[in-house]
Amino acid sequence: MKFMKSIRTVTAVAALCLAATTVAQAQNYKIAFIARAQADSFAAWLANGIMDEVKKYPDMTVDVMDSQADDAKENAFIENAVANKYDLIIVQPNNGEAQRPYVEQAVKDGVKVITTNARIKDIPGSSSVDADPYEQAAVNARLALEQIPQGANVVVLNGPSGNMHADMRRDAWQKEFFDKRSDVKIVGEQIAHWNKEEAMRFMEDWVQANDKIDAIVSMNDNMAAGALEVIKDDPKFENILAYGVDGTAEAMLLIQSGKMTSTALQNAYDLAAKNISVAHDLLTGKITQIDTDIDCPLVTKDNVAEFIEIHKKSGAIK
Amino acid sequence: MNNLMTREKWQTIKSRYSIYLVLIAMIIVCNLLSPNFLSARNISNISVQISVTTILAFGETILIIGGLLDLSCGSVLALAGVLSVYVFKETGSLSLAFAVGLIVGVLCNFVNGILVRRFNIPAFIATLAMMTVARGIALLFTKGQNIYQIGDYVWFGQGSIGFIPIPVLFMIIIGILTWYILGHTSFGRSLYAVGGNEEAARASGINVGRIKVGAYLINGVFVGLAGIILMARTNVGAPNSGQGYEFEALTAAIIGGTSFSGGLGTAGGTLAGAFIVGFLNNIMNLAGVDSYLQQVIKGAIIALAVGYDMWAKVNRTRKTLGAAKLPTERKEARA
Amino acid sequence: MQNNLLEVRNISKSFPGVKALEDVCFSVKEGSVHVLCGENGAGKSTLMKIINGIYQPDGGETLIRGEKVEINSPIRAGELGISMIFQELNYTPEMTIEESLFAGRWPKKRFGQIDWKTIRQKTLQLLKQENLSYDPQTKLKDLSISNLQMLEILKAISRDADIIIMDEPTSSITNKEIEILFEKIADLRARGKGIVYISHKMDEIFRIADEISILRDGKVVETRPKDKFDIDSVIALMVGRALGQGYPKEDVPRGDVVLEVENFSGPTGFSDISFNVRKGEIVGFAGLVGAGRTEVMRALFGLDPHFGGTVKVHGAPVKVRNVQDSIRNGVVMLSEDRRRYGIVPIRDVKENVTLASMEQFFQKGRLHSARERSRVEEICSKINVKMASIDVQVSTLSGGNQQKVVLSKWMLQDPDILILDEPTRGIDVGAKFEIYKLMTSLVKEGKSIIMVSSELPELIGMCDRMYVMAEGRITGELDRAEFSQETIMRYAMNMARKAV
Repeated sequence: MKFMKSIRTVTAVAALCLAATTVAQAQNYKIAFIARAQADSFAAWLANGIMDEVKKYPDMTVDVMDSQADDAKENAFIENAVANKYDLIIVQPNNGEAQRPYVEQAVKDGVKVITTNARIKDIPGSSSVDADPYEQAAVNARLALEQIPQGANVVVLNGPSGNMHADMRRDAWQKEFFDKRSDVKIVGEQIAHWNKEEAMRFMEDWVQANDKIDAIVSMNDNMAAGALEVIKDDPKFENILAYGVDGTAEAMLLIQSGKMTSTALQNAYDLAAKNISVAHDLLTGKITQIDTDIDCPLVTKDNVAEFIEIHKKSGAIK
Repeated sequence: MNNLMTREKWQTIKSRYSIYLVLIAMIIVCNLLSPNFLSARNISNISVQISVTTILAFGETILIIGGLLDLSCGSVLALAGVLSVYVFKETGSLSLAFAVGLIVGVLCNFVNGILVRRFNIPAFIATLAMMTVARGIALLFTKGQNIYQIGDYVWFGQGSIGFIPIPVLFMIIIGILTWYILGHTSFGRSLYAVGGNEEAARASGINVGRIKVGAYLINGVFVGLAGIILMARTNVGAPNSGQGYEFEALTAAIIGGTSFSGGLGTAGGTLAGAFIVGFLNNIMNLAGVDSYLQQVIKGAIIALAVGYDMWAKVNRTRKTLGAAKLPTERKEARA
Repeated sequence: MQNNLLEVRNISKSFPGVKALEDVCFSVKEGSVHVLCGENGAGKSTLMKIINGIYQPDGGETLIRGEKVEINSPIRAGELGISMIFQELNYTPEMTIEESLFAGRWPKKRFGQIDWKTIRQKTLQLLKQENLSYDPQTKLKDLSISNLQMLEILKAISRDADIIIMDEPTSSITNKEIEILFEKIADLRARGKGIVYISHKMDEIFRIADEISILRDGKVVETRPKDKFDIDSVIALMVGRALGQGYPKEDVPRGDVVLEVENFSGPTGFSDISFNVRKGEIVGFAGLVGAGRTEVMRALFGLDPHFGGTVKVHGAPVKVRNVQDSIRNGVVMLSEDRRRYGIVPIRDVKENVTLASMEQFFQKGRLHSARERSRVEEICSKINVKMASIDVQVSTLSGGNQQKVVLSKWMLQDPDILILDEPTRGIDVGAKFEIYKLMTSLVKEGKSIIMVSSELPELIGMCDRMYVMAEGRITGELDRAEFSQETIMRYAMNMARKAV
């Protein structure tokens, strides 16, 4: 018995030593993820994804910093990250142009930088991982081109003006749809700040003022869901078309039940995984620079089932 | 003489009810602008739309009357709402979820009250701190993600009893409660005195600290309820909802004649103030006014409405005091 | 013969209902100290405010160095070389000494920036010249009251003021600091400045005065060089009027002791206070401003804390932790500062009256509106509050009626003991008389009154017994038979030994 015990002790000590040496030998890369705003649900989703993904790489750790949708805070985080000798910084800009000089400085100081969602273009030495905001809206708009009937009345829900994604998505709808369909009339267009409750208020007023609304064109799923919430039991709008962007769990369920027409998935997990793998490649010297996009697949009733699986895995829906 | 009396009476009506006159004027103008405006559906819509901020505004009214303020209501609303939704999803019990929403609201405001009473932190600062803390906890708890598929919970925001939507019913109940508390209870009386002159209230034997904490606790119930309604109405437990609602609530209370210097304000005034803002938003959407222009018009109308209200009140004071007394008044005010 | 720096001739000033100054003549000579003394409300402050341009006189003229001038603002007064140091110093706590010295007349550089270098130089030079060792960067909040006063004097000197008015400068500084101040005054006098010094502290007056003027009821009753006065004659002149008549005082049989206070001390500046009040008695508290009378009453009422002594009501010891306790004991207080502690100005009469007695009208928190209205109307008509209805805002009433509203509030409580702190301050003669009558009817009902007042005549007219306070202590107790203004003033100045 005594013998067994001492063997066990010896083994345990040996194992401990072994573990200690492995840790000491492995390179440990420090990554800073500077998030736009943890209160923004997509940004939070991305941050959660990055935290999960990095666990797969024992030689990397990530610290998440929350810029609270404030340029000044975000810029300060970039400077601090450089000063604190992080090996790599992933910047999710609040406003690309505001962060540009700070990212440029970080690159100059020899820190590796990835810009993501949305990328800051044309900074030599920095890499980027993104989903193209124009394309995300455009895939929906091209579908709408075929679906929205002649002489239709539509309402448009916009994101905050000045926001890069909001502007690019609206721009895509303009070029891919409205410019080609002069027969379609916009009977209401408002800024609902990505916000479901605000979108509901606008929609409630619009259905008062207009007997006929054929389609909801929304720059994100949240606002589209809000508009649909208003008319969900109204037979008058049973056949309304509704387009969003993002691919939230809620939108997937609405598409599955036939209430919403389509959305483009901006998969935060894909984005997170790509960011982390690019980060690993940059740090281990496999590559020195890359600009890459993840896919933004169009989600309709036909293919929605496979995407719902993603959300079920994450626990957002059951 | 008789003539004078009626003029005097008109003055009183004009000053006491000036905000309702603004509301009536607004209804008339809106009705001219849009034939849909006075339809039952539209009025019901507006009532639902303003219900959440109006319930918050009733809480702010009580606090402002007592010389206090709550900047945290938008955040506490989100925290109470997501926790309530969470409890519902876990247990499936509507009543338990409802209770949790109210309790969270009350607890946060109990902290507000204690900070103000025990530690003498100005209400502005104390509730500003709570605003950040409550939002942080809500985001932390949900990891920043929305809670979907809230099922029967939506009844609190989308259901109706007879033809009255539940949020409107809640708004009416809270309005009556506020009216009753302010006008018919000793707590309400004390509150007006504490806000109107805290020192005099203390020197009259009123327990000023208890009144202040009490005001926050009542506000807590209202905020919790508003959180439940908002989540149910939007069919999602959203930790980032309710941002900026504190200012919408304050706006309604102030338009409704609640004085920031304390001691003045009524439930009816606040309801009128909330409807003025609600009508304004509604008519501009019905008339298809550009989104940027809406903000400009909204600000201008708010300034006008409050300006008229103040003017009508000052006018009365001048009439009753007589011109000769005004300089003394002013001097005293300066002293 | 010294020249008159400042002379005012036949100055008169009225406020609504009050003649504050009547035909006042007053002058200050070069290199001399002219002391102005008088009772509270004699018109000293009004006169000084006229000289400093804060008030405009109704009639009369002002001469500076023999030339007629019109002083229409404090700024103009400053230009004419007049500088006033107020009793209550107003200052910006975060300002530094150098900033404050040059406030409003900072030297500028070419592009309008403030020239801090010059300011520093000038400040240091001034400090050196006046033998003071302050750091120009010290913030005002870190200075003591006497240092702030010194700074005010420095400011006056830096502005080349010839006439410096000091309004009771020693009321809140220590003896040692008084010595420093007096040295400075002597120094200023030697440099030919004219100083007006307002005080009613006899020892000070006789130490520093060259001339003394006595103001009473808005008139200068006497101006003489110091050596033509003695303390007794000054006191006699200050109070000297035949009064005590015209008060609705009635003899009420006095009963048992209802309130007994022993060795009462508190942090607000009073100690070892012992007194008692009998049923049906009006007990006066006399003393000069700052003697601590209000502080004692506030602590007794639970508004301020106290740290020693016992209070017995109807013979039983009671605790006074707050106002609620006091009200429960049947003790209520009408505060001297009506606007601050008495009324809620923006609320109506009804709410103000029932503020302290809500338990009578709210059962289980619910209001009995009709009962409230009838009780308020009843009590207001008894006390004769003049108003359109009980629904008008209290702020629209006159001072006297506001005071009656506060009285009505306390009458609803049906208290045994009323503390009335300056009950007639700032109200007109008619309303004063009504309040006196009310006091009489209250004691006839068997209540007891403690009356604090700075107007000796009304104390003498209304009280059965009187305590006199000075410097936070009771210095004397007088029965009605012993009342005389001279005696009271002696106790109030803590010079009773000479009276006996």
